[in-house]
Amino acid sequence: MSNPSVGRKKSGLDKLLRVALYTVLLIVAAFYLMPFIVMLLTSFKDVEEIRTGTLLSLPSVLNFESWSKAWSSACTGSSCGGISPYFMNSFQIVLPAVAISTLLGAINGYVISLWKFRGSDLFFAALLVGCFIPFQVILLPMARTLGWLGIANTTTGLVFVHVVYGVAFTTLFFRNFYQSIPGELVKAARLDGAGFFTIFYRIILPVSTPIIVVTIIWQFTQIWNDFLFGVAFSGFDTQPVTVALNNLVNTSFGGKEYNVDMAAAIIAALPTLAVYVFAGKYFVRGLTAGAVKG
Amino acid sequence: MANLVIENVKKRYGNTEILKGINISIKAGEFLILVGPSGCGKSTLMNSIAGLEDVSEGRILIADKDVTYTSPKDRDIAMVFQSYALYPNMTVEQNISFGLEMRKVPKADRDVEVQRVADMLQISHLLDRKPAQLSGGQRQRVAMGRALARRPQLYLFDEPLSNLDAKLRVEMRTEIKKLHKKLGTTIVYVTHDQIEAMTLADRIAVMKDGEVQQLGSPQEIYDNPANLFVAGFMGSPAMNFVPTKVVEQNGVPMLELATSTTVALPFPKAESLKSHLGKTVLLGLRPEMITEPQPHKEGQPFVTTTDIEVEVTEPMGADTMILTRINDAEINCRSNPMYSAEAGAIIKMMFDTSKAVVFDQESGQRLDL
Repeated sequence: MSNPSVGRKKSGLDKLLRVALYTVLLIVAAFYLMPFIVMLLTSFKDVEEIRTGTLLSLPSVLNFESWSKAWSSACTGSSCGGISPYFMNSFQIVLPAVAISTLLGAINGYVISLWKFRGSDLFFAALLVGCFIPFQVILLPMARTLGWLGIANTTTGLVFVHVVYGVAFTTLFFRNFYQSIPGELVKAARLDGAGFFTIFYRIILPVSTPIIVVTIIWQFTQIWNDFLFGVAFSGFDTQPVTVALNNLVNTSFGGKEYNVDMAAAIIAALPTLAVYVFAGKYFVRGLTAGAVKG
Repeated sequence: MANLVIENVKKRYGNTEILKGINISIKAGEFLILVGPSGCGKSTLMNSIAGLEDVSEGRILIADKDVTYTSPKDRDIAMVFQSYALYPNMTVEQNISFGLEMRKVPKADRDVEVQRVADMLQISHLLDRKPAQLSGGQRQRVAMGRALARRPQLYLFDEPLSNLDAKLRVEMRTEIKKLHKKLGTTIVYVTHDQIEAMTLADRIAVMKDGEVQQLGSPQEIYDNPANLFVAGFMGSPAMNFVPTKVVEQNGVPMLELATSTTVALPFPKAESLKSHLGKTVLLGLRPEMITEPQPHKEGQPFVTTTDIEVEVTEPMGADTMILTRINDAEINCRSNPMYSAEAGAIIKMMFDTSKAVVFDQESGQRLDL
């Protein structure tokens, strides 16, 4: 205020930097959005338009035919009912798998952070190894296990696989979150007369919302997008949508229907997209929780 | 209300012994303070009393009942934690009544009890708030309210004031003292603040390295410390320790000081020094026992006036601390601010050795007990 010329000079530079910043951000955003835009545009065109136009040319009319075909009548392999039944399959796998793995992770994290026992750190370290096992490694042993348990090729089997594989991650999330909860809270509750599960249910869970959201997003995305387990362990009518999408794209009678492929791909991606849109801000907040104290 | 007996309690983690045989016993209604530097085992002892940690050896009795292996919730104790440990998802009211709820007290009775406690601690207007909406002092009150609501036999306070600012700490200290007077409950209180210990306690247990160094009333501990550690830990500014040679004058052992001149101080329990004639011992003298010459003390048996050289003065308002060097040790003296003392000047000071104590230089043990 005492020296306006300096202030003006600074604000000029500031403005320039701001413009540069937004330009870079817009370019990057456009770059990342480009594939999605192409998909969206393609899905609204008909086959003729796709063949004659370019990737980025706009459709002459908004044509929803490919969407309804992808949903209910496109052929995936030998059946021609669209991807809708598989879409439902995916939900039947994802919802219980996310719920169970999140709950188990919460209890594991609670024990490892707040009810330390002899060897609990070792237990945690061993569990962490689970995060680094590639999917491919467990395909054969898991197939044997599922067969032995009598749940091969079933939705239950897929839920089981995803829970087992997911617990390592969910435990890690909850453990790190609970690490920032003072142990005195549990001590106080014990003196107040609360037991193990009462403390968990009444005191720990109510403060866990951010990490529950993070875990749900993470698990939902992971399990929904899973292809390998889905293709390896599902039966003919328990296939998740990712497998159906693959079949749809690979099944063609005559010409390739890119518009249907794109519509099906977008439909298959919608649930994860929706989860991000609705809970994304918790995701960032939860991931950084505990990183800065206070 | 209950008495508390701790019998030869030991606690080991692997090969490290945290508690090395603790023996403390207090009567019902007494206020016991466990004080000591960090790592002395006072918090471990507290957790053992609460049952949050198992002891490796020994017994703990509350109200003459052996609770060594009883689970925390069945010991009928309540604890106030350093971090307050309020349940963040519950309102103040729910925080206070949670313990009652866990003990299946009917809702109507819980409400009455919450109201009683809230009135007592003057937090009635906060009952609907969550802990995050409270100030430090208010959280402190709620934490105490939670402990009070169950009317347990024994209260445990684990450094409850150390997270408060200085002014609030003094206020809450007084309130805890009033509360204790009013309720007459048995309290065990852990702190590392020796002023808290002096002001609150009926009995103080000074701990170091997993051992009780001394157990006694605040005045006993202040006037009659069992060893060098206790003497140095209690009191602020700390007791002065001066290495002095024991010399004989007229057949009586005296303590020799080299101030500006050399002077020999008389000592109340002179006979205990006989065996140390010619050796050097540590004289312990509290700062308030070295003052400006006070006429009414002149001529008393253990008062000696001598010259010292002022190194630095530290005015504290009510008193002025005068720092000097005697026998190569730094000495704090407490004088009247009106008494003129300037750095570098040589002034007269009065040494009152009637409450002086002496320690062995190597072992730190009292020589005149």
